Amino acid sequence: MIEFINVVKKYNHDVIALDSINLKIEKGEFAFLVGPSGSGKSTFLKLMIREEDSTSGKILIDGKDVGKLKPKEIPYLRRKIGFVFQDFRLLYDRTVAENIAFALRIIDASEREIKVQTKNVLEMVGLSSKEKYYPNQLSGGEQQRVALARALATKPPIIIADEPTGNLDPTTADDIFKTLLEINSRGTTVLVVTHAKDIVNKLNKRVIALDHGKIVKDEERGGY
Amino acid sequence: MTTKTYLIKEGYENLKKHGGKTVSTMLIICATMLVLGIFIILLQNVNKNVETVRVQQGLQALISDTATAEEKEYMKDQILKIEHVKDVQYLDKEMAYEDAKELFKDQEYFLEGLENVNIFPESFVVTFSNIEYGDEIKAQVEKIDGIYKVKYDESTIQAVIALSKIANVFLLGIGAVLLIVSIFIISNTIKLAVYSNKREIFIMRYIGATNKFIKMPFIIEGSIMGLLSAIISFVIISLGYVVLYARLPQIGSSLGVFGFMSYSSLWYQILIAYIVLGLFIGLFGSAISIKKYLKV
Repeated sequence: MIEFINVVKKYNHDVIALDSINLKIEKGEFAFLVGPSGSGKSTFLKLMIREEDSTSGKILIDGKDVGKLKPKEIPYLRRKIGFVFQDFRLLYDRTVAENIAFALRIIDASEREIKVQTKNVLEMVGLSSKEKYYPNQLSGGEQQRVALARALATKPPIIIADEPTGNLDPTTADDIFKTLLEINSRGTTVLVVTHAKDIVNKLNKRVIALDHGKIVKDEERGGY
Repeated sequence: MTTKTYLIKEGYENLKKHGGKTVSTMLIICATMLVLGIFIILLQNVNKNVETVRVQQGLQALISDTATAEEKEYMKDQILKIEHVKDVQYLDKEMAYEDAKELFKDQEYFLEGLENVNIFPESFVVTFSNIEYGDEIKAQVEKIDGIYKVKYDESTIQAVIALSKIANVFLLGIGAVLLIVSIFIISNTIKLAVYSNKREIFIMRYIGATNKFIKMPFIIEGSIMGLLSAIISFVIISLGYVVLYARLPQIGSSLGVFGFMSYSSLWYQILIAYIVLGLFIGLFGSAISIKKYLKV
């Protein structure tokens, strides 16, 4: 579960990026975070993974106060959250399988676990046949699916996708969202930051809209 | 593959990935290590020669002709009681003549006809446990009854001591500068490695890699560079010294040096110094860059 309690984030003491944010995203929920550029979406994500500290308020991830974590504990918080980026952030000198193994090695998985889990997540995103390919041999959609597989490999309870389809054509974007829904159907909490209006409207899921650092809309089954 | 093996492999892969930079860094480290090695050898040889001077050099106290055997025994006891005196040896006239023969072995005609003439006085050869007290010992020996003259070549001894002190300070100073240069070079290479691995580091941070996991490959990369440079430098300097050692006696005698240390008595000192230095340079150099440029 993700919970923001009265969270404020100010830059240089007076620029307010997030203003009194209160929200709760339940375990297994699928939610969109929308809003224009500069509305505070990126700050929201940065606070969640303790990339930055909030100015005041409390952020709880699975009941743990993110702000109170010691620097040593931050990596373990991040292991609970699988991150997917707009530009994929793959390692281009490693194969698809190696990119996924890379994430598993970081969490100290055994060789056997790495082998089994790599196979599982590639199957999940439909890329089993391309494990030996290098990212630049794949299409944009396939690269994003590798990024998704990497985020899933460590079995995080939460997946955050930051503009996952921003660089993709509409058909490929649909595929990515199908995969995200499938991941969600297995119990993973999914939070998607997006500008993809059509998809948000079509999927009819929870929509949290930010503007000027404030929540301007939070609807259970909303639209863009 | 365990995490440790993986991190070592990553460190090694980094070295390969930064091939050109790795080689040039190692060449510079080797060059500074070679210079350091030459200084270590010089320092050891200077110190060894000073030690030889310390042991061999002493003073010669000439005994009056009229002294009886008891008086000589008493004089010897008195000298031995002086602080920092290591040993006293009695030298009779025959022994003094033998010494002179040894001294003039190339010009024996100097001594022709002197075999039966007692021109060489009896004496005590006094050696010191600490040569720096030579002057004080000399003054006390002179006060002993029956000693009519003390021969003590203090200028040479003092010059050797002063020279060795200067050499030690100078060589240590140069060594320190070279050490700093080496650390700086490794640190710079690691800085570039950190920059070129920015993408990996970014991903690692988001996936939840611990600081140790992110830093370790760079520490390993720096250490391997330091260690490899140490081994290469050791091989080069060893070969150089062995080849040069054969010619050292001539060079040494022309410089008035007592002798050079054999390679067998030096190699392990150089090897230990190099390995310690290599590891220190590698670890410290990479640690500086990681602290400065790798915010995790």
